[in-house]
Amino acid sequence: MKASFVSTTAVSQALRYSMQRTQSSLVSAQKEVATGKVADAGLALGAQASQVISFSRDIDRLNGIVDSNALVSSRLSATQLALGKLSATAQDFLATLTASASGDAEGSLARASAATALEQLTSILNTSQNGEYLFAGVNTDVKPLNAFSDPASASKASFDAAFLTHFGFAQNDPAAASITAPQMDAFITAALEPQFLGAGWQADWSNATDQKIVSRIALNETTETSVGANAPGMRKLAMAAASISDLLNSNVGVAGQKQLIERAVSMVGEAIASLADLQSQTGIVEKRVADASERIAMQASVFEKHVLTLEGVDPYEASTRVADLLSSIETSYALTARIQQLSLLRFLG
Amino acid sequence: MSLSSALNIAQSSIRNVGRQTSVVSRNVLEANNTDYSRRTAVVTSTAPGARVLEIQRATNDQLFRQNLGALSQWSGQSTLFSGMELLSVSVNGADNTGSPATAIGRLQEAMQIYSAAPSNQNLAESALDAARQVVRALNDGTVAIQSIRTDSDQQIASAVSELNNLLADFKNSNDLVIQGTRAGRDVSDHLDQRDATLKKIAEYVPVSTLSRADNDMVLMTSDGTMLFESVPRSVTFTASSALGAGTSGNAVYIDGVAVKGGNPASGKLAGLTQLRDTVATTMQSQLDEISRGLIQAFAETSTSQPDAPGLFTWPGAPAMPAAGTLVNGLAGTIRLNPAIDTAQGGNANLLRDGGANGAAYVANATGGSSYADLLIAYSDRLDAPTTFDPATGIDPTSSLSDYSTNAIGWFEATRQAASSALQASEALAIRSAEALSNETGVNVDMEMSLLLDLEHSYEASARLLSVIDEMLASLLAAVR
Repeated sequence: MKASFVSTTAVSQALRYSMQRTQSSLVSAQKEVATGKVADAGLALGAQASQVISFSRDIDRLNGIVDSNALVSSRLSATQLALGKLSATAQDFLATLTASASGDAEGSLARASAATALEQLTSILNTSQNGEYLFAGVNTDVKPLNAFSDPASASKASFDAAFLTHFGFAQNDPAAASITAPQMDAFITAALEPQFLGAGWQADWSNATDQKIVSRIALNETTETSVGANAPGMRKLAMAAASISDLLNSNVGVAGQKQLIERAVSMVGEAIASLADLQSQTGIVEKRVADASERIAMQASVFEKHVLTLEGVDPYEASTRVADLLSSIETSYALTARIQQLSLLRFLG
Repeated sequence: MSLSSALNIAQSSIRNVGRQTSVVSRNVLEANNTDYSRRTAVVTSTAPGARVLEIQRATNDQLFRQNLGALSQWSGQSTLFSGMELLSVSVNGADNTGSPATAIGRLQEAMQIYSAAPSNQNLAESALDAARQVVRALNDGTVAIQSIRTDSDQQIASAVSELNNLLADFKNSNDLVIQGTRAGRDVSDHLDQRDATLKKIAEYVPVSTLSRADNDMVLMTSDGTMLFESVPRSVTFTASSALGAGTSGNAVYIDGVAVKGGNPASGKLAGLTQLRDTVATTMQSQLDEISRGLIQAFAETSTSQPDAPGLFTWPGAPAMPAAGTLVNGLAGTIRLNPAIDTAQGGNANLLRDGGANGAAYVANATGGSSYADLLIAYSDRLDAPTTFDPATGIDPTSSLSDYSTNAIGWFEATRQAASSALQASEALAIRSAEALSNETGVNVDMEMSLLLDLEHSYEASARLLSVIDEMLASLLAAVR
């Protein structure tokens, strides 16, 4: 007759398994309290674990884009600064030219101003940052603009050649004094414009590419983030400055010089307008990059929240669980000790 | 009735008490042996008043079978789960930090920074380094998977030889049980031994038992293959020296019949087989597809030539791996292109400009050092949807970066299922063992109280003997 039989092993082993389970949950609960995340994301989330990986990877990538946008921004603001200086140079030059055109100033003043403008144009367009020439298009290893002031330079040589071909004599030839205004006008249109505004620019003057640097500024947004030395504003400014500085220092007569200065005034005016265009375009890109960075930072924080909802634990709940587990382990210990004492043997004489 | 018959009865009582005491003390001795079944000395009356003892052994076939089944399941699932833990750490790293998915993420990050300043050699180098990490994650993952598969194969081999030994042990105990039963001896000890062996066998293969005359026992696996019938059936297995990706290992044969895996895996053999041929193989095929996706995403294109492998290449180069088709073992052979990898004397600029496969593939026609279009295009291709082999258990139409995270999702889902199956079978094994122990185990207190009874009964019989002795003495004195 046995109502319900209990074996001694079962009694002493009864708490062992539950004890093991409690202790292993204690380990993970402690981890959860310390990290604020589930102890084993893979086991807790199963197939959803892929989302956690994908989100955390995207967060890293977004932060990477924010970093690279900082690089792009610094290039853009350097460009903006250079364009501003270029525009100021053009304006100074224009002021001197206007004075010369109205006869208020000496021609030599205009010539000096043109030389300065040309030097500044060359130095600004050859600005480099982090070892990259800002205005070189994608060809950032090579100086974008060749120096005109160097008598041996290709640009100077081809300028001289253009003059010689057009008129049949060099600019320092005495015959140059008899060049009339219409003749000078024709020279500028037929010989100088192709050289500066046409194919001659990239052959003799500029090493920059028309292709601009393209950057990814958001996960799925790319944009051109550089300004090249081949923009019309720079070409026109170079044309005006080069022709004035060279021809006003030659035997070209007053009529020719006057015509030249008149054409230069309108050209520099156009250059200033075109530089202003570039400045505003650069400003727009700067704004786009800044906006993109801001948007990305917001996106990253949304992703972070998602990751937290997926693998985060309520710290209050976790620490309560630790307390519960500890007290249940203590109870088990106490019970085990009591049960071990519970034996008939102790009462048998 | 006579005094001598009273003396006989008292003597037999003392003899009975002696045997009962020996049973009780044996019970107490074995109280903590889980393989021991409680014995009871049963006293029955026979016609002339003499008493015969029979030793009975407590059994519960139902619970025992349930315990066997639970043991098989627990053993199978725990083998599978611990194998998966190993896979998880050696392929994906702790918290997936070393997984191909993470490495691809880093590569994308490095490519992004590089594309923001493509003329910077240091950034090119760091992009290459990230690419090296990707290759290393894939190569190392493949090595780890193959070594885990080969290990499992070896473990199957040793499990099979262990199982054969156990079956031989089983035959010995079974023979002793049959002989003892036929001779009418107490076979409890042999039964205990046979049950203990049976429990061990159940850890390797799920067994169902069939009892026949003379306590003979027949063992079958749960899918009906004969494992033991009078003699053990041979369990055979040929271990493979090396298991290549995509090749399954040999099956275990019992009595010439291949053992089926079963789902959920029950028994260590099934657990190991499932680990070797299903989990690890699928994981390998996913790594292979990730590798193929990488080669495809970084392929160089040309207007006049067929596409050719770019940053990532494989032994089949300059051909491309066929689109949408698994190439077994590709993850083990994927390499960085020596034409680009600076560590192999390559030119890192080819990554930016294209042309690792010759001038026809150059994308940066002007040679400008800040050309970023190609770098951006590579990065875009990692995010663009492409087609993967549907045999790998993951959504076949997804981008490479999604595919690589889905691979982790697939693995964690499998691991989660194995973990919950393990917990359930563990609880079942422990509960059924406890229930079985309650049915067949020893309660020391009970035995001690029985001992008190026996003491009293012994005292009474001894008292009887001395009284009869006195009576006989006085009778003899009267006669003198």
